Amino acid sequence: MARMGMVFDLKACIGCNACVIACKQENSLPDGVFFTKTLSEEYGVFPMANRVFIPTICNHCEDAPCEKVCPTGATYTRDDGIVMVDDDKCIGCSSCSVACPYDQRTQMDADNFLKGLFGKGDITPFEEDGYGRYTPGTVTKCDFCSQRVDVGLDPACVVTCPTNARIFGDLDDEQSAPSKMIRERHGRPPLPEKNTKPKVFYVN
Amino acid sequence: MAIEDKVFSGDTLRSGYRFQRHWDNSMAYAFIFAELGAGIYFISLLMNSLTGMIVGLVLVSTGKPYFHLAHMGVPSRSWRAMLRPDRSWISRGLLGLGAMIGTGFLYVIGLAFGEQFGIAADSGLLGLLKVASATFALVVMCYQGFAMSHSTAIGIWNSAIIPMASLLYSLSLGVAGALVLLPAAQTGGLADTQLLLLLGLAVMHVMLLHGGWHGSPGARTSVELLLQTSYSKWFWGMVIATGIIVPALITWAAPGNALLAIISGLAMLSGFCTWRILIFKIGVYEPILSMNPFHSAH
Ligand code: SF4
Ligand code: SF4
Repeated sequence: MARMGMVFDLKACIGCNACVIACKQENSLPDGVFFTKTLSEEYGVFPMANRVFIPTICNHCEDAPCEKVCPTGATYTRDDGIVMVDDDKCIGCSSCSVACPYDQRTQMDADNFLKGLFGKGDITPFEEDGYGRYTPGTVTKCDFCSQRVDVGLDPACVVTCPTNARIFGDLDDEQSAPSKMIRERHGRPPLPEKNTKPKVFYVN
Repeated sequence: MAIEDKVFSGDTLRSGYRFQRHWDNSMAYAFIFAELGAGIYFISLLMNSLTGMIVGLVLVSTGKPYFHLAHMGVPSRSWRAMLRPDRSWISRGLLGLGAMIGTGFLYVIGLAFGEQFGIAADSGLLGLLKVASATFALVVMCYQGFAMSHSTAIGIWNSAIIPMASLLYSLSLGVAGALVLLPAAQTGGLADTQLLLLLGLAVMHVMLLHGGWHGSPGARTSVELLLQTSYSKWFWGMVIATGIIVPALITWAAPGNALLAIISGLAMLSGFCTWRILIFKIGVYEPILSMNPFHSAH
């Protein structure tokens, strides 16, 4: 059985946020909601100042605390390791949000749907069509674009990234691109001390 | 690293500590009503105070559901929260809450009107309801603490002291309620118990601060927020001075005075409410990764 995961190449990421936009488009995410964010960090002082970019996403943890605390069973893990949220079961209690050490969960407030992507309250036909998949009040997160994975495609953020900073594949397959990269470049998971066993790794 | 040097990124796209804001004040009020009501019910049950039991049950069955539903994203589906007692403290707690309210009201009705239907106050049926409702009240007194301490995400919450704090606050507020509601002649020994519980609360706060300071970076940051930012005046002024020291002095100096018992109870309640809100506000997530070569966890 596959175990889908992702690697972020921190040397390659230029912080262009193309992945963020692709994700919003693919998943019809309303105003204020992101499934992936590219964080930036500055350090040092002039003339030795530096700025680096750190892409973040749901880590599809193997020992996912969000799933453990969910009182309704709305959060569950598929056979291929993708952690999902069943919109029909979620009650929006936010237990998963406080349990996720990576702050990767977002509540879809009714307000999020009102502004529209252009911020003026005009909802385009594209938005109108896409928003239907969400129930206001529920909590959502990245699902590795499961609808794309199911038909053999990579997640939208991965195919959009112009620098190949996001590498997606089966971590159980030793020959897959992410497995090789983790092995050869000593991939490290975020906050390993939280014991969540993330399936997302960072290399630099 | 001093607190003023730490990056709090809020909702921005900077890497840094992020405040927990998913559980807001309405969740804190739900916690307050549950722990206060269950504590008053439990102690009143031990002291055979029917008024106290009714007050406790009313608090638990009104304020707790109201504020919980206010927090819920999809309130109409809330019943689903009881479906996973095998793994979720929210489920266990809500089942306990429902069972406490059910058995508690049956017990109170039995006590008040049982004689008319031939059910004596010391009958086996009422005894069973008493034990059951006391057990479920204990679940309600503790489960919210377990729900918070269960996961490692928020360092300061991820501690066995958090459920202990729920229990101690619940018991001490229950005793405070009994001292207010019962005539002085029936409260023998309760003042001493209250002093012990207040001492327990003080020790609990020291343990939480000590554990957090020497714990994960997130837990330490929360302690720094509590002691070194504008939250500190609320912590020292309301939680410690008003919520623990003032009631302890009143209970020690004038144990049987009805007016002072009310003042002491209100002071404890304000300290408790402040603490419940603060513990939500100081919860932080740690930066998930730092590329900064000068970054240090502490
Ligand atoms: S990153 Fe957070 S939301 Fe994603 S699986 Fe892990 S705990 Fe759950
Ligand atoms: S918000 Fe939804 S997915 Fe999250 S714990 Fe509650 S019911 Fe489960």
